Amino acid sequence: MLTIESLKKTFITRDGAKVAAVGGVSLEVDQGRLLTLLGPSGCGKTTTLRSVAGLEKPDSGRIVIDGEAVFDSTNGINVPANRRGIGMVFQSYAIWPHMTVFENVAFPLRVAQDRRYSRAEIERAVARALDMVRLSGYQSRSSTQLSGGQQQRLALARGLVREPKLLLLDEPLSNLDAKLREQMRFELKRLQLELGITTLYVTHDQAEALALSDEIAVMNAGHVIQRGTPYDIYHRPNSEFVAGFLGSTNFLPGKVESAMGADGTGVVGTPHGPVKCSFARSAAARQQVMIVIRPEDVQLAAEAPVDTTNTFQGRIANRVFLGEVIDYLVEVGGEELRVRARPEWDFNIGTPVHIILPPAKCVGISDDRGAAVARQPEAVGA
Amino acid sequence: MATAETALQPRKNALLKFSEWLTLSRFILLCCAIICAWLVFVPLASLIFVSFAEDTPAGPGGFTFENFVNAYTKPYLADLFLTSLEFAVFSAVITLLLGAGIAWVVERTDAPGRSVFHALTLIAFAVPGLLIAMAWALTLSPNIGWGNRALQAVFGLEEPPFNIYSMGGMIWTLSSHYFPLAYLLMGPAFRVLDIRMEEAAIVSGARNWQVARRVTMPLLRPAILSTLLLIFVRAIEAFEVPLLLGLPSKIYVFTTEIRFAIAEAPPQFGYSSSLGLTLLVICILGVWAYRRATRDAEAYATVTGKGYMPTPIKLGPWRWPVTILTSIIFILSLGLPLFALLWQSLYYKTIPNVDLLADFTWRNYGYIFTYPVFLNALKNSAILGASSATLVVALGFVMAWIVQRTNVRHAWTLDAMAFIPIAIPSVIIGASILFAYLILPIPIYNTLWILLIAYVTMYLPYGMRFASGGIIQIHRELEEVAEVAGATLIQTFRRVLLPLMSPALIAAWLYIFVMGVRELTASLFLAGPHTQVLGTISLTMWEEGGSYGTVAALSIVQIVPLVMIVAVMRLIETKISRRG
Repeated sequence: MLTIESLKKTFITRDGAKVAAVGGVSLEVDQGRLLTLLGPSGCGKTTTLRSVAGLEKPDSGRIVIDGEAVFDSTNGINVPANRRGIGMVFQSYAIWPHMTVFENVAFPLRVAQDRRYSRAEIERAVARALDMVRLSGYQSRSSTQLSGGQQQRLALARGLVREPKLLLLDEPLSNLDAKLREQMRFELKRLQLELGITTLYVTHDQAEALALSDEIAVMNAGHVIQRGTPYDIYHRPNSEFVAGFLGSTNFLPGKVESAMGADGTGVVGTPHGPVKCSFARSAAARQQVMIVIRPEDVQLAAEAPVDTTNTFQGRIANRVFLGEVIDYLVEVGGEELRVRARPEWDFNIGTPVHIILPPAKCVGISDDRGAAVARQPEAVGA
Repeated sequence: MATAETALQPRKNALLKFSEWLTLSRFILLCCAIICAWLVFVPLASLIFVSFAEDTPAGPGGFTFENFVNAYTKPYLADLFLTSLEFAVFSAVITLLLGAGIAWVVERTDAPGRSVFHALTLIAFAVPGLLIAMAWALTLSPNIGWGNRALQAVFGLEEPPFNIYSMGGMIWTLSSHYFPLAYLLMGPAFRVLDIRMEEAAIVSGARNWQVARRVTMPLLRPAILSTLLLIFVRAIEAFEVPLLLGLPSKIYVFTTEIRFAIAEAPPQFGYSSSLGLTLLVICILGVWAYRRATRDAEAYATVTGKGYMPTPIKLGPWRWPVTILTSIIFILSLGLPLFALLWQSLYYKTIPNVDLLADFTWRNYGYIFTYPVFLNALKNSAILGASSATLVVALGFVMAWIVQRTNVRHAWTLDAMAFIPIAIPSVIIGASILFAYLILPIPIYNTLWILLIAYVTMYLPYGMRFASGGIIQIHRELEEVAEVAGATLIQTFRRVLLPLMSPALIAAWLYIFVMGVRELTASLFLAGPHTQVLGTISLTMWEEGGSYGTVAALSIVQIVPLVMIVAVMRLIETKISRRG
């Protein structure tokens, strides 16, 4: 449905310096799916989105929407934004303050160049779009009288009123407060499933990305670092960058002792002892790797377990009670490990504990693509 | 469509490359740049050219340093320089004190009548400088000033206590003309001064004077400095006040000296332009320093972040004394001159006096409205004001849009270029445009066109500022979403940008119109026998000295509509700020 091929975009700053915002991004999104571009600010995700919209002209690459090339640097094709037939929601919502709710939604139909819409058609389409986002009855309101959440819905209705093939969402929830954001997350998910509309979503919020996406592309410094389902991205990060960007993570440096076996696992020697883990990609013996484990995957026990694989001795250094969980800092051989535990595992500060790192949850990362990209001198995010 | 383009991929020749490079926005940019460069650099170039050229009866002659030697070896040059500086520095200080004082009362206190003070300041803003100078002459001239007469009568004085034809008189008159500008510059600084910063100092144990010295003053310093600098530049390029009030006592400043050198027979173009260059350098330095200072002021303004609520200082028992004191300032700076004009306009060939109520007459007004010279000047001023405002707003809007919204490289140079005229005194604009179109074979001398060029040049920076300010207020995404929704550039302009910007554009138009109708200085150099404007005929009628009553009536006839236009303008601006 949407294909992006080796998209590149360099900005020239006022003092003449070249800044690569997007350094060769390739992606495709299937019909009806939602792909999220996730990354820190300046990673190039918004530039990628704006290139798809036609608001930014890439230096090179190819963008195909529904079989039609809207941008192709080799053929000099660049369809202007107003001919791409896209729905888009901006971070600021960009609700026109001089128009009513109705006029805001009706605008894309009024300026349509391919056909003229009759008054009745416009009224019907606007009513349906507003109904979709649950803003029926607000037609004649001044758009400035709406609350933040309502403005967000209005922006969405305006994006959907033409029934576009592709919907682009640029951090649409970032201006809402936490409670409303959670509510809108479900709402967006419902709409996207109901309409089956192909969607490209940009956010820096990992929770949003995990909740909404069929697929996530994690970006850093103008490159896609990892693509996969939310589950894969979260549990099987391919790099330190991805592991660090999504949620909090423990990193254990070590050296591969026995290379990856048939079951995809191997043993890594760490300063605390050998750790059995799986690998993100094949790793040879004696290679330096980083073991990644999520705080919520670490188990704590007062007594040593029967199977002592991946079990270490530690001491509770600090604890924070958060209601549904307790966060611990556990000291292991001079280093600190973050552990997120259920409240039943209640240990006081100073208590010695056994730490179990379940082998299935430990991932050995052999190279760091995120860092490697960031080290390239020209690849500084814009 | 895409495939057709793919099939036809011609080899690029130079012309095609150029036409590809020349997008619509680049083309418009180029046009604007050429217009701008013409407006700004042609007069400057001719000023420099004339200053290095021999003065001959046939126009500028061969290359020479004579003009500079002539100008800068004159014994009274040091005098001229010091007089100009004295006038500008003291005017800036007094103007700041007046403007900042009123701004403080209006923005920071709960004194009664604050909105009245605000409105009065804007009335003062609408009154042309020439008319203020005339009004003060009518009030405090040793011969004809009714104020002096009244004081003499009340206190039984032999001599008139005040003489407006003095350095002090000039400074006071200019300050009473410029204080609205200081008010408008200092008002926002007081408004954004978060009282919580002062409260934090109090909670930290500081006493009131320590708070003022260590917190309030340092926070206000950039605004004070930038206001002082701007008023200084405005004062050193002021012309009307030194002309009307300095001349009778032989007090000369740069601007009057330049004017007289040109008005002499034969005109000393070379001498006046070499003096003009010095004035220009002073003004450019002043504006440069002003820009730096405002940048600091803006940096401070961003310190006050979210959740800021302006809390007025509770004056308690001092509420009424503060109001009364402020009212006295207004009576002295605005009330007296306006009263003098109004009163004088109702008398014919006599100086108003309490005993002379019997001589009250409307005939001055009757005379003005049947005076063909006035009617012609009114027409010219209206045409010039309206057309320069329209051109400047259109040009400013297009250029500001290119600078703010497109990625065309070097677009910011346009911004810088359009800002240059703000540093060029009107005297120099007038003189150099006169030189330029005497030299160039463009036959617009003695027509309205040459005046229009001068006006557009002078007001270009204001048009640019207003338009940029308006565009910056409009989030870029409001336009982008229209584009993505399928609107063409024209549709986006018409349906989104223009409706959103129209208040700012109308305000800009009215502001420039008011300035155009008030214009005197540049017009004095450029107006021909049939292209006199309101400013020049007012001056001529004053200088001929026939009837002060007629001149006063002429002034009132100008002031009343200007005040009304400024009122409309402020109404629009409040609407904008409420929406923003």
